Amino acid sequence: MTQPSSVPCAHCGLPAPPPPADAPEDAPSFCCVGCHSVYLALHESGLDSFYQLRNTWSSDPQPAQAPEVAAELAPLLDSEAFLNEHAKTHDDGSLSARLHLEGVHCAGCVWLIERLPELMEGVLNARLDLTRGLLSLRWDPAKVRLSEIGQALARFGYRAHPLRADQRQVRNEGLGRLLTRVGISWAVAMNTMIFAIAEYAGLSALADAGLHTTMRWLSLGLSMVALVVGGSIFFRRAWASLRTAFSQKLSAGLTHLSIDVPIALGIGVGWVHSMYNTVWGQGDVWFDSLTVLIAALLSARYLQLRGNARAADAAERLYSLLPRSARLLRRADEPTSQLRERAEAILATSLRPGDLIEVRTGDVVAADGIVMLGRSEVLRALLTGESRPEKIAPGQVIEAGVTNLGALLHVEVRATAEETRVGKLLRWIEDHKSQRAPIVQLADRLGGIFVLAVLGAALVTSIIWALIEPSRAIPNAVALLVISCPCALGMATPLAMSVGAGRAARRGVHIKNDDVIEALDHLTDLIFDKTGTLTVGQPTIAAMEGDEEALSLASALESHSSHPLARALVAAVPPQAGFAPLPTSEVEEHTGRGITGRVGTQRVAVGRPDWQLPEEHPWCVRADELAARGLTPLVVMVDEEPRLLLGLGDRLRPGAGELVSRLGQRGVRVHLVSGDHPELVARVGEDLGIEPSHIRGGASPEDKVAFIKTLRDVHPDATVAMIGDGVNDAAALQAAHVGVAVYGGSEASLQAADIFLMRQGLTPVEDLLDGSKTIMRTVRRNLLGSAIYNVFGVSLAALGLVSPLVAALLMPISSLAVVASSLSQRSFEPRPPKSETTASGGASHASPSPRAPSSHARESAA
Amino acid sequence: MNILYLLIPMALLLTLSSVAAFVWAVRRGQLDDLDTPALRPLLDDEPEPPRR
Repeated sequence: MTQPSSVPCAHCGLPAPPPPADAPEDAPSFCCVGCHSVYLALHESGLDSFYQLRNTWSSDPQPAQAPEVAAELAPLLDSEAFLNEHAKTHDDGSLSARLHLEGVHCAGCVWLIERLPELMEGVLNARLDLTRGLLSLRWDPAKVRLSEIGQALARFGYRAHPLRADQRQVRNEGLGRLLTRVGISWAVAMNTMIFAIAEYAGLSALADAGLHTTMRWLSLGLSMVALVVGGSIFFRRAWASLRTAFSQKLSAGLTHLSIDVPIALGIGVGWVHSMYNTVWGQGDVWFDSLTVLIAALLSARYLQLRGNARAADAAERLYSLLPRSARLLRRADEPTSQLRERAEAILATSLRPGDLIEVRTGDVVAADGIVMLGRSEVLRALLTGESRPEKIAPGQVIEAGVTNLGALLHVEVRATAEETRVGKLLRWIEDHKSQRAPIVQLADRLGGIFVLAVLGAALVTSIIWALIEPSRAIPNAVALLVISCPCALGMATPLAMSVGAGRAARRGVHIKNDDVIEALDHLTDLIFDKTGTLTVGQPTIAAMEGDEEALSLASALESHSSHPLARALVAAVPPQAGFAPLPTSEVEEHTGRGITGRVGTQRVAVGRPDWQLPEEHPWCVRADELAARGLTPLVVMVDEEPRLLLGLGDRLRPGAGELVSRLGQRGVRVHLVSGDHPELVARVGEDLGIEPSHIRGGASPEDKVAFIKTLRDVHPDATVAMIGDGVNDAAALQAAHVGVAVYGGSEASLQAADIFLMRQGLTPVEDLLDGSKTIMRTVRRNLLGSAIYNVFGVSLAALGLVSPLVAALLMPISSLAVVASSLSQRSFEPRPPKSETTASGGASHASPSPRAPSSHARESAA
Repeated sequence: MNILYLLIPMALLLTLSSVAAFVWAVRRGQLDDLDTPALRPLLDDEPEPPRR
């Protein structure tokens, strides 16, 4: 019977080591101690249904936090300051608060957490917002303390944080207020239309003067509500736009008039005219069209803002990756001898340089500092994208955002919050975001001219009609302003883009900023970072020469090293059943050169040929040949004797060559810029058919940015996209017009990127290019449609052939046409399976999280 | 037609109450999270399956 190398963790589903051979047949396996204890806690509480629900709605699985780690924040929740700031007291004496909950990811979590009132006496209500990880809690302080609830949550592996009173709150409140305005505007519009229908149906002053007048006055009152609640936004923005326009040079300012100006003018003139007619009991009133116009425009604005808020929420996730608490051992101003017995949990924001903090296993470091005590392994994935643990010892620098995997560490704080490395990185990314030249949206570019044209046409119309027939001057001008429906034009671009981005997200392509879609449509240069995108990203043995049995010796030795090449060697020798691993001793790593040690009775050394080989040995030449082929040569010495020469290389991803040639056919110049050895990069580029002048090897992060800058200088019209991962690419991703981060990339590069590909491999790259083409086609179709509509509409209105009533009917129809056109776009449809698609398993929830070290292992297994 | 004098205030009253309900829902944050509520029907405890 063959043992599987890994089984899914019984709690979180990530790969876990198989249970020991002597365990019962159906014994569950766990990836970590956290998952194990959470599993036991659930089991003891009779909450096993959790596991049936777990797969119902699930983002990336994540291992549970060990209860004791998760529990550390619990005491903080009881502090007077916290309760004063965050909790709300209700009439019955109960308190309510919102907490940020770490580790929720599936329907099972919702079920579990919302059962808190049944599980704990004193908890009155618990509601979880799964997407944001927000827990709304209401409890009776006489019966239960918040810290006890925190402890209970910790038992199930959820870490409860105090919610930051951050911008998100403000943004959500702003959105909520706008939504209220939208709702009120529509309610008013519907009622005004009911009154109007009566009038269209034949109710007139002659038929029933009293009712007629009543309805008009009621409509007037209702429309005033719409004007104040909804219309005020347009008036304010139009006023601001006019002020800016006149503070600039007139010719420049006028083309920058916002689309709100004709809207405000149309609403304003139309309403004053209708009010005048109501008061004097004569002529037409257009309260119905005005209120519908306000409601429709507000709705479009709301949808747009909501999309933006979603994107901003995503950017803020990076902040939430940093811990909000730290375990303080000693204040900076306290004498060293006064080391406290127990560390106390404090807010990370109250840390100061010089403080001594304790970092336990599984903790994320809250500030930059120097390790004072303890040796451990740390995970720097957040900062560097490096998914392998690194060793750390006293005296070494440790950064905020680093996870401690091994033993307890004492860290002296050197920099906190904004001053930490990750804080600076975040600020840098934000600064660059605002510096970045905004890609002017098509609608904006057309908008200014459109607004001027409409205003001019309205003015001309009213003047001409005033000369011909003064009573029709205002109706025709208002009809023109209303029919020119800025909402179709205003919605044409953002709606098509947000629908497209939504479709893309379902295909595992996440587009953070809509504006890059336009840039992708006329892409001229595509820069690949070699590893992970074009290649599998894992070295394998590509050439072998000499005594192949020495490989098992080398593998035994390299199992002590975490170097990527070492891993390749270890992976090359599968562990054989029945054979005990070779005993090793005296293992010593020589940084940059290799590793030496004793395997059994033999002395073995594995490393660079020029380190161990005698100079005149024939393998020296062979090693150079291997290097010229783009491989990394390694030599295995047994008892000072060269026994085996290896060439290790990164394998190209299947389909990479075809992709490059297809990109060439599209007229996209493909570049390869990598930090790897120049020869190796050149070799890969040659294999792919990339022009040698477009290949740059040995590039530092600064080189990558410089490369992009040069490219943009040489070809001013070029649109450059960069595809990469790792924190070293973050700057380059930002420097390119479009930054694309691939699956497995670090969080920092992810945040710097405009687009994030959830699937590995190359199909999402093509999906992205095809999809953005289709989206832009839809945008152009929308713009063309609304342009044609407007030309006809404005002409008819200017000729006096359209009454404001008909204009108000045509307006929503044109908007609906734009909506329908946007919804019916066929972007990001599943493509027929190609050779490569099988390798990328899709963005199913079974795939490991982007930062999980296992992602590479899985890839190589596929 | 005189019935309209009664119906119109009623319609307005109806509008007013629905607006009030809407504002209440927005204030309470009922429209903030549109994903989780869809899961809730799945979460109700089902009776234990009959044991055989």
